[in-house]
Amino acid sequence: MDGTEVLLLSRAQFGLNIGFHILFPTLTIALGWFLLYFRVRYARSGDPAWLATYKLWTKVFALSFAMGVVSGITMSFQFGTNWPGYMQKVGNIAGPLLAYEVLTAFFLEATFLGVMLFGMNRVPGWVHIFASAMVAIGTTLSAFWILALNSWMQTPTGQVTQGGQIIAGDWWKVLFNPSFPFRFSHMLLASGLTASFVVAGLSAWRLLRAPEDKSARATLRTGLLVAAVLAPIQAFVGDQHGLNTLEHQPAKIAAIEAIWKTERSVPLVLLAIPDEDQRRNDFAIEIPKGASLLLRHDADAELKGLDAFAPDTAPVAPVFFAFRAMVGIGVLMLVVAWSGVWAMRGGMPPRWMLWTLAGFTFSGWLATLCGWLVTEIGRQPWLVTGILKTADATGGASGAQLGASLTGYVITYAAMLLAYLVVLTHLAGKGAQA
Amino acid sequence: MNLDLPLVFAALMGLAMLMYVVLDGYDLGVGMLMPAADAREQELMVASIGPFWDANETWLVLGVGLLLVAFPVAHGIVLGALYLPVAWMLIGLMLRGVAFEFRMKAEGWHRELWNWLFWFGSFLASFAQGFMLGRYITGFHSGFGYTLFALLVGASLCGGYVLLGATWLILKTQGVLQGKALGWARWGLAWVALAVALVSVATPIASQSVQVKWFAHFPYDPRTLALMLLPIATLAAGWLVWASTGRLKRGEPQADWIPFAAAVAIFALAFAGLAYSLFPFVVIDRMTIWEAAAHPSALKFMLAGVAIVFPFLVAYTAFAYRVFRGKAHAGLYE
Repeated sequence: MDGTEVLLLSRAQFGLNIGFHILFPTLTIALGWFLLYFRVRYARSGDPAWLATYKLWTKVFALSFAMGVVSGITMSFQFGTNWPGYMQKVGNIAGPLLAYEVLTAFFLEATFLGVMLFGMNRVPGWVHIFASAMVAIGTTLSAFWILALNSWMQTPTGQVTQGGQIIAGDWWKVLFNPSFPFRFSHMLLASGLTASFVVAGLSAWRLLRAPEDKSARATLRTGLLVAAVLAPIQAFVGDQHGLNTLEHQPAKIAAIEAIWKTERSVPLVLLAIPDEDQRRNDFAIEIPKGASLLLRHDADAELKGLDAFAPDTAPVAPVFFAFRAMVGIGVLMLVVAWSGVWAMRGGMPPRWMLWTLAGFTFSGWLATLCGWLVTEIGRQPWLVTGILKTADATGGASGAQLGASLTGYVITYAAMLLAYLVVLTHLAGKGAQA
Repeated sequence: MNLDLPLVFAALMGLAMLMYVVLDGYDLGVGMLMPAADAREQELMVASIGPFWDANETWLVLGVGLLLVAFPVAHGIVLGALYLPVAWMLIGLMLRGVAFEFRMKAEGWHRELWNWLFWFGSFLASFAQGFMLGRYITGFHSGFGYTLFALLVGASLCGGYVLLGATWLILKTQGVLQGKALGWARWGLAWVALAVALVSVATPIASQSVQVKWFAHFPYDPRTLALMLLPIATLAAGWLVWASTGRLKRGEPQADWIPFAAAVAIFALAFAGLAYSLFPFVVIDRMTIWEAAAHPSALKFMLAGVAIVFPFLVAYTAFAYRVFRGKAHAGLYE
């Protein structure tokens, strides 16, 4: 069997799975906190409209959570089936982090989810609120562990080599590795923005059909306000994350900015078509000295280009375009959130604004996927920076097995996503039922 | 203190797998029984497993997670050899998991479609798990006989899950549906009895080392006597299922949790027998738990987490089962 084919299929399959999976936790992490807010509002006001709101969004949550659980179970198997070399090399670090995620987060959220969804009439109010809080905490904890692991793979610290094995010398340093605080806050904000746009977008969809729906008005306002607050914070944190990447993974920045050669006064390439063969940018629109100014806060500063890291560099075009798509969508989300809040100041926003918001329902997903492509393709050819290359982690399954199962997964995921979207719009269209 | 960490983790992994098989077993079993019930009964059946299935499946993640993190080398060998059945199982679990949610929000033929997918996913996942078990205990040898054996174990596990699901329904429902469940449980038991007998005969034939373990001292040795306690206890548990469902059928006084508890006992005993057959191998005849274990530093770090978290895990799982004790009612989101 051809090694490159297995590598390609392993990556395609894992990428498909994790790309599908990431959609749902990204939504549910923050949606859990929205639910807690709705639940507490109901407890304090006793208003049945808040109860109906809570129940509607609970259904959205349950559906999204189930999608996340089943694709997550698949991932737990694919770690081993697609990347046996990964666990052999760094299993002593990755393993415990994954185990802690299962132990502290998965059981917590799954168990209390049952109480939250089906136990409202069986337990006292405060116990039900407690269960809702545990679900929100559980989803956030799972993000903590998995991002600690992902960040360690990007910027490993705290490990030592003993008898040819890589083990943790200092777990604290493994967990709080240099990129972790930035990546974790970037991801939590991404989740907050994704959920707030889903809440606002589906509420807008309902208001287009039933303009008098009080519950949809309240949730539209909540979603928009949260989005308007989080969007600028995300811009700031994203910038800080970029500077952190420049310090610890300069090769990734060189790919993001399509800087081919190490030099001074590097221009900021706004748009171009990177040419991998000629190692240059075609049709480039640039701001002179922009990259040096942005990244070093000095117009004449030197920036390392891809030539400094050859041959261990990522493919430029996907990273370059995905980054620009992420930033572009992010800017649009900020504009939409702010103008939405502005349009809502007198009561109902105009219909065109509602249509815009409905159109932006899943904008957070797109931005998250683009950001994920940037960070995961941007670290290639490394799986664990400086320790393990992606190509050295494959094995186990044959190309034929990978191909057959990949086909099965593609069909299953496509059907699941279609059904999910249909049911979600159907639920939102019917609105909250008291 | 000098703990045998690989042994501790093998025990933990075994416990997680047994928990998974029993807990997800009953909800997979309920899923497989769906076509045998009418629409109103299906609502009750789904309601009886609704609050639990998410957490039940988490035990699978823990079990395979412990294999992955405590025995990384074995994980690669086992899951590499079981690549395709693992994929079937995952697709089955995905279908039933989302079908569970979707069917509650759908109407008309859409609901029928999701009901069908819920049944199909439950069946596919159960069968694949049994098939994997069959491949695993015969050391992944290829050949017609071994494949046939794995198919047999696949069918057997489906029967076992039907037994668990039916006895769960006896516990969680009443009236006509409970009456139906009593019939299902007895069919499931007959199926399990046949399967256990076949697997018990076939396993020592298929695997030399299993044969040695059970029959090396046969029959004139006290160890044989101790070993024979397992099949005897299994027979007793099977008889208990039969007798208690019989009393319930005739309307005689009988606690409704006895059939489920006895079915769980059958699984626990079969599991103990299996563990005895395999120990100390994690990949039979090829790799022991000590050869496959991760570095002690990783195991120690995880054991600390297990020790801290486990009491909480047990406490809130018990809490959830207490909240939803008693008979199931339709109308899940009420």
